[in-house]
Amino acid sequence: MTDAAIQLTDVRKSFGRTEIIRGVNLTIPRGQRHAIIGPNGAGKTTLFNLISGRFPITSGKITLNGRDTAGLAPQQINHLGLSRSFQITSIFPRMTVFENIRCGLLWSRGYKYSFWHLLGSQRKLNEASDQLLERLNLHTRRDLPAGLLSYAEQRALEVGITIAGGADLILLDEPTAGMSHSETEYAQALIRSVSEGKTLVMVEHDMGVVFGLADIITVLVYGEVIASDTPANIRSNRAVQAAYLGEEAA
Amino acid sequence: MNPVSLLRRHWMWLAVLVLMFAIPFAFYDWSRGRHSGFALTLMSEMALMAVFALSYNMLMGQAGLLSFGHAILFGIGAYFTAHSLNFIKANDILWIPAELIPLAGGVGGLLCGILAGYVATKQRATAFALITLGLGELFAASALMFMTFFGGEGGITTNRVIDSSLFGIAYTSAWQVYCLLVVWAMIAAMLMHLQTQTPLGRMANATRDNFERTQFVGYDPRMVRYWQFILAGFFAGIAGGLYTLVYEIVTFDTLAAVKSANALLAAYIGGASGFFGPVLGAAVVVGLQSGISLYTSAWLLYLGVLFIVMVMYVPGGLIGLITMHRPIAQMGRLRELFLPYLRILLPGAVTMLGFVTFVELATHRTIGAAQGKTLAVFGMPVDSESLLPWVIGVAMVVGGGLWLRIEGRGFLLRWNGLIEDAKARGIVA
Repeated sequence: MTDAAIQLTDVRKSFGRTEIIRGVNLTIPRGQRHAIIGPNGAGKTTLFNLISGRFPITSGKITLNGRDTAGLAPQQINHLGLSRSFQITSIFPRMTVFENIRCGLLWSRGYKYSFWHLLGSQRKLNEASDQLLERLNLHTRRDLPAGLLSYAEQRALEVGITIAGGADLILLDEPTAGMSHSETEYAQALIRSVSEGKTLVMVEHDMGVVFGLADIITVLVYGEVIASDTPANIRSNRAVQAAYLGEEAA
Repeated sequence: MNPVSLLRRHWMWLAVLVLMFAIPFAFYDWSRGRHSGFALTLMSEMALMAVFALSYNMLMGQAGLLSFGHAILFGIGAYFTAHSLNFIKANDILWIPAELIPLAGGVGGLLCGILAGYVATKQRATAFALITLGLGELFAASALMFMTFFGGEGGITTNRVIDSSLFGIAYTSAWQVYCLLVVWAMIAAMLMHLQTQTPLGRMANATRDNFERTQFVGYDPRMVRYWQFILAGFFAGIAGGLYTLVYEIVTFDTLAAVKSANALLAAYIGGASGFFGPVLGAAVVVGLQSGISLYTSAWLLYLGVLFIVMVMYVPGGLIGLITMHRPIAQMGRLRELFLPYLRILLPGAVTMLGFVTFVELATHRTIGAAQGKTLAVFGMPVDSESLLPWVIGVAMVVGGGLWLRIEGRGFLLRWNGLIEDAKARGIVA
């Protein structure tokens, strides 16, 4: 039990009368790479919003590293070691690419609300930001306002801001959506390397990425988990084929 | 860092400092060996308004928070300073040098920021703006109700001469006070500039750009706003303290809505995106208020029209207008714009003059004549009862406007061509 990085117990979420998440039970052990797949509208992003504290749950229980997250604000959940990215790119458009990354680093480096540190002279912080930019292949765009980046570059930056703080629990919401084939391959390798020794949960539509990265795949359909198993078993699972992989498997 | 590169990076600061000390000498009365009182007061007002507008921009430009009640921080700072001076005077406290008095204003603004900010920063965007509007009214009303602290309609008078100084200066002359003011304004501006480069300053930018995302990198956007508000309060309070030193009287006007509006006007006209924008804006607003108002009672109308024109056509403000030229300057082709500028400035000037003629005729008919004033253009009396000046005025507005439209197209073509070249050479993205 204590080995679970993320544990969901009968989690439910309703918007008005519509129940979007209908009793999800899921245990993700520490160090696992976990993918959540499912048709559009299955509630994958909503599940991320619940885990990361963006929305409160209607009933049930979510624990991160054994701690109940009920009533915690997103930043408090972040302080527990969880970081997430967004399906709809959510960056700081008027700040430079470098500053975007640095914003992702500040809290984890203990700067908090400091108005007595001059950022220009924080060598370690700036070096770490630059190193991450290089890994993201964004170093040539360093001083450009982030809003001017191409779509794929913004997606890479989105992932970069998420992993910058070195969180143990990383939630990526469709990290490769809209990327070209080569960009996707690069992103996949990047995600693999940054999630080394960490717990990764991702929602992804690109099956190549899902089957290439995930240790365990969970299939979510209409707010319910219909299967949670290894990639090989998921591939041969009848219910999954029917509900989701239907056309491709046929 | 070597001095040359230091100078290259910070020349703006040096330029402002030199200007601040040089301009009063342009108005110096050499025959009597005295500074012009008017010039010193005008420059003092510009300096303290620049600090006030910069502190306003800590909220608007940096954090994206539109405040309609920023003057409460300024006013409370001013009252704090006046009371501090009176207290020092009454109790013969000699160990506090006069140079540190504006800090009392800073403390007042800081405390007010802690209090008002606690309420206002719970919200952002429109709700924040409305709360600050309410707080502004609340403080202005309180100022007339609580006599002991605010002194009612008459305000609080004080005396800046407290007979203690780090440098043995009495601060009896306006020039001495002005020097102190410039030094304080420079220090405050530099600290605010440094603040933009701190974690809090950057996270304020981040909450402005995308407040939700800041939560997911570990920050509470509310706390970012609150800290930013408190610091802005400190600097607005210092501006208020400088105000007290200059005028030696503080009335409830210092915290009323008009004062808040002035900060907004200065920050917007100057430009919220560049650090020096509000400084430029403060100079323009104070110039119109104190300079142009000597010549015309319609100065407020001109300020309003300027504000509307800036919001409509130059949302980046004066500083934005200047920085737009940077890529062209980098190509070394600024010279090519000289003639096109001349060609739009001419019709622009005609249109403006026509507009001014029209406004002045109108104000003369409605207010001026009743006050027994005569209207004169370049020393020649003009009769606002006759038709001719009206026709000339309207003709200049219409004719100049049409001419400007035609020239404007040519200018735009030329401008876009230059920017395209800059893009081709990779200077702009």
